[in-house]
Order: sequence, then C-alpha cells, then structure tokens
Amino acid sequence: MENFAFAPAYALPAWPFTPPPELGSTKVVRHPIVIVGAGPSGLTLACDLAQRGVPAVLLDEDDTVGVRGASSRGICYAQKSLEIFERLGIYQRIAAKGITWSFGRTFSGDDEVYHFNLQANSVSKQPPFINLQQFYVEWFLVERILELGVTDVRWKSRVTRVEQLEDGVRLDIETPAGSYTIEADRLIDATGANSPIRMQLGIEAHASRSTDRWCISDVRFEKPLPTERWTWVDAPFNEGRGVWQHLMADGVWRIDYQMPEDCDTAAISRPEVAGARLREQLGPDVAFEFVWIGPYGYRDHLLDSFRHGPVFFIGDAAHVVSPFGARGGNSGIQDAANLGWKLALVAQGQAGDALLDSYDAERQPAAQENLQVTSRSARFLAPRSPAEHTLRRAVVALAARYPFARALVNTGRMSVANAYLAAPHLPEGARTVQNLPLRWADGRETTLMQLLAEGTQCIGLWVAPTRAQADAALEATASLPLRLLAVGGDSGLPTLQADDTLAAHLVIGGAGSFALVRPDAYRAAVLPNATPEAIASALRTALAHSPTP
Amino acid sequence: MITEPRIPDPDGFYAALLAAHEGRTDAQSADLNARLVLLLANQCADQGVLLACIRAAAAVQDLTTPQAP
Repeated sequence: MENFAFAPAYALPAWPFTPPPELGSTKVVRHPIVIVGAGPSGLTLACDLAQRGVPAVLLDEDDTVGVRGASSRGICYAQKSLEIFERLGIYQRIAAKGITWSFGRTFSGDDEVYHFNLQANSVSKQPPFINLQQFYVEWFLVERILELGVTDVRWKSRVTRVEQLEDGVRLDIETPAGSYTIEADRLIDATGANSPIRMQLGIEAHASRSTDRWCISDVRFEKPLPTERWTWVDAPFNEGRGVWQHLMADGVWRIDYQMPEDCDTAAISRPEVAGARLREQLGPDVAFEFVWIGPYGYRDHLLDSFRHGPVFFIGDAAHVVSPFGARGGNSGIQDAANLGWKLALVAQGQAGDALLDSYDAERQPAAQENLQVTSRSARFLAPRSPAEHTLRRAVVALAARYPFARALVNTGRMSVANAYLAAPHLPEGARTVQNLPLRWADGRETTLMQLLAEGTQCIGLWVAPTRAQADAALEATASLPLRLLAVGGDSGLPTLQADDTLAAHLVIGGAGSFALVRPDAYRAAVLPNATPEAIASALRTALAHSPTP
Repeated sequence: MITEPRIPDPDGFYAALLAAHEGRTDAQSADLNARLVLLLANQCADQGVLLACIRAAAAVQDLTTPQAP
C-alpha cells in the first residue's frame, strides 16, 4: 500500500491576552459598540469601523486565526469582498498571497459541458475572485486593525452570558485572568454558526441539515494545471459522484469529493482512502502530500430578523448556506460592510437608529436569496429521487451538445453582491457599484474605493452641473454626510473626467443627471435631472432620516 | 398557456413520438422524455408559460397510472 505524506501544519500567529481595565473593578463600563467573534465578518466590521475612526471592543475566545488543527473554511473571495478589502487597505496583501481566477469549467464524465468567464461582466479594479485560505484573510484583517489602532481587541475573552437591557446589553466575559462584566449600547454577534448568544437569547434559526456528504482533501502536488475552478457533476475518478478542484495559496489545491450519503465519515477521510482517491484522479506518477483531510455535511439556517433591539447578527450567526458558490463567507463580509457605515453615522450623530433597521431590511432578504440559490445548487448536485436523476442526466446529456442546456447545469452560482429590494429608504432599491477606475479632471488616477476610503459619507456624482447648481447643492447638503463630485463640466466642484464606462455602470447620462453612492458602494438613487433640493432629499431618504415636518 | 390545438399534424407528431420510444426500456424512455421536455421548454422560452405548464401537468390526475407502492 502506498504511504501518504502530510505537509507540516500551517504556522499561525498568536496575539497576547492583555488584562482589560475592567478586570478587578466593580464599576461596569459601558461601550458603544461590542463585537463578539473575530472571524471574517467580525473582523471586517471592526476594521471597517476602525477605518472610519469609530472605536469598538472586539472579543474573541481564541488568540489566533483559523481553526486550530483544521484548515477548512472559506477559500473563494468574491469581487465585492475584494473591493471591501481594497477600501480597508488589505487588498494588495490578499492579491499577492492568493490565486486570482475568473474562469470556471464544469465536466461530466470526461467531457467539459460548460464554462464561464466572470471577467466578462466586470468593470472593477478587482478580479472576480481570489482564492485564499480563510485564516490568511483573518490574519491580514487583524494586522490592519492593530495598525489602525482604534479597536480594543481582546483575545482569550469568552462571552459566558448576555442579558438584554432596556437600552443595551450586559455581557459577562471570562478570561485567563478572571471574569468581568461590561455593557454595550449595541452588540454585534459574529460568533458563527453555533452562536451561543443567539441560543441564549432563544432566537430560532430554522436550521436544517443535508444528508449529502463530502470530503475535502487539501493537497500539494507537482502537476501543472490551469488556475481555474473545475467541477465535475459526476467524476469517473470518484465513482460517478461530484468533485470540486481549486487552487489556493502556497500551492495547495482544495479537492472536494462527494461521498455516498451513508458513508462512514471516519473511513472515507483516512489518509490511505483519501490518498487512493487522489491517486485515481492524478494518475500514477504525480507526487503529492496532504495538508489536511476533512469530511463534512453541510447545513443551513436563516434568522427571521438580523436585528433584535440592540443585538445585531452578522455572518454565520445570522445565516448559513451550503458551500456551493462561495456565498457563506462572502455574504458575512458584505453584512459587515453594510452595517459598518451605518453604525459609524449613528455614532457620529449623522443618522438615527432607523438607519440601523435598514441593515436587517437589506441583508436578511439577501441571505434569503443566497439560501435559495445555494439550495438549488445542492439539489442539482444531490438528486433526491430516480426522477431527479433522470432530469439531471437529460440536462447533462443535452449540455454537451446544446448551449441552452448548459445554463441548467448547476455546480454553484458564484457569489454576487446582492441587489437590495425597494424599501422606504431605498425607493428604487439599490445595487452594487463596482470599483471603477476613475480620473480627475487634471488626469490623476483614482478609484471609487479610494473616494470611499476616507471618512464616512455618501458620494454624489453629478454630470456637468452649473456653478449655480453646485453652490446651491453644497449649501443644501452642508449638514449632511455627502461628498459632492462633478463628472465633467465646469462647476467648481472636484471634477472627474466624463467616462462612458462610469456613465453606463451608474446609469447616468446627460448633463444634470446624478447618482448617489453609499459608503458601502451601493447606488441608492439616480436623479435624471437633479436639483439641489432633490439631492438633499434623496440623501435624507437614503439615511432613513425622519421626514422634515 | 395555450390549450387550443396548435399542432399542425397531431397524428403525425404523435406517431413520431411513439417511434422515438420504440425499442427503449422504461428507463431509456424516461431519459428521452426528459430530454424532450427540456428541448421543448427552451422553444417556449416564456417563464410564466413554463410554470403554468408544469402546474397543469402536475394537476392532471391520471387514474390509470400505476401508483407508487
């Protein structure tokens, strides 16, 4: 029998526990914002707030990133996440360490049935996807948070009890140096799928568990393959079941094998069994070493509401979906970016509590959409009856010959920045604005993320207003968080060069048209013929200000 | 969903359909039907009509169909 080698474990950083001032004091300190959980969503939120100059307490029960002894978790970071990371100042590190890709192929048996190129619809400075082990993303976020120096990061701090108060939350925290109690005006639960906070507050998550079983093998091998996402609906080297193949950092491939539903998870993840699968796939002459092997079954849940008074749920604490399409981690990062600027404006007194309700109004339906999309992929990949198998065989057989059927082959619909539904604060709904490359009138280069990276304000992009209009609009919005920019013309405003891509992407056109872009790079409003009053009114609406009496 | 007759030569169509199933096992016939449904669905290309057809097909109770055990 062949022997299989394991690579040395990843060397992860550890940060020191520093006893907080509250320890040993009887006075209960109240903090405006407390985030629990230093995973991707909690760290993104802490970093987003820090970038805006807003302090928060970040509690984590561990003192490192990733999961000890395991390298599973997310690997695919989608464009919207990458744009958020660009704004937060860690994109360059992610791009340098990770694997950039945009091309995916789907196979059935030995034949390719479908491919896609996500770059085709992109106008962003960031690529459609970068693959990177999740702990690297967390690591870069922690270092960035520490560099910004605004966040009170508390390692080895486990929340043992939460109690909802009339106007906040009380938390008991256990540390290596003893326990203490703090209060928070607002608590953000980013503790993940098994959130103890959610359970303690008795909030129903509507969980369900799939019977589909998979086994991940993270491996290094010497075989040149393109850096593309390859999926097999029914791989000949996996007894006709599904296989996923992706490259991530450090030359490590993640190969994910679908297993029989009734498999013995301990048996299928033994190195000699996983090794035999891999040998079948790679052929006899390819040397490889394992980095990690792990069986899993996926599950899903979705809270009815992501806000319960002073408590906000983000990331896996709020929603869990099957892994197909990378909609888990990416939507947690988007949750954080959605909530960050709202908390910042409330902290700065520029918006009221109603703006925080819009976090739930926007992100809960987005999670619902992700759940529906991923559930459909899961069902395509694990047909439940002979009839479902028959229909899938028909799809795959037709897809090899006819383009129309390729659209039905569903090995995961890749994560997108969900559009937001129309709501009182978003009369037309909202959709993401990609990180467009832009130029100032004098030729200097900038990007949308650079424009959004400083402070917390919306951006108004106004096509060639007159000087009088611009002056009046500045006056009308003087007390509001708005950075007013012109696109072309001679208005006296800071002016960007007119650009067809920009106009097409924002759907603005002739002189006088206007787009309102929120701090999370969502287009909140378009005014075909903007007036200073209409701009101020659109902004107040987007910030959920009470109607002026 | 149109339920008035529109097939120009109904008997010819039906004969061709039967001919396509000749010599096939039940499983092969089921595969053929599934491919046919998908090809026809793409000809229709109207989401509302497709969903109406699915509902209409599911709503018809054929008492002669052998029941699942």
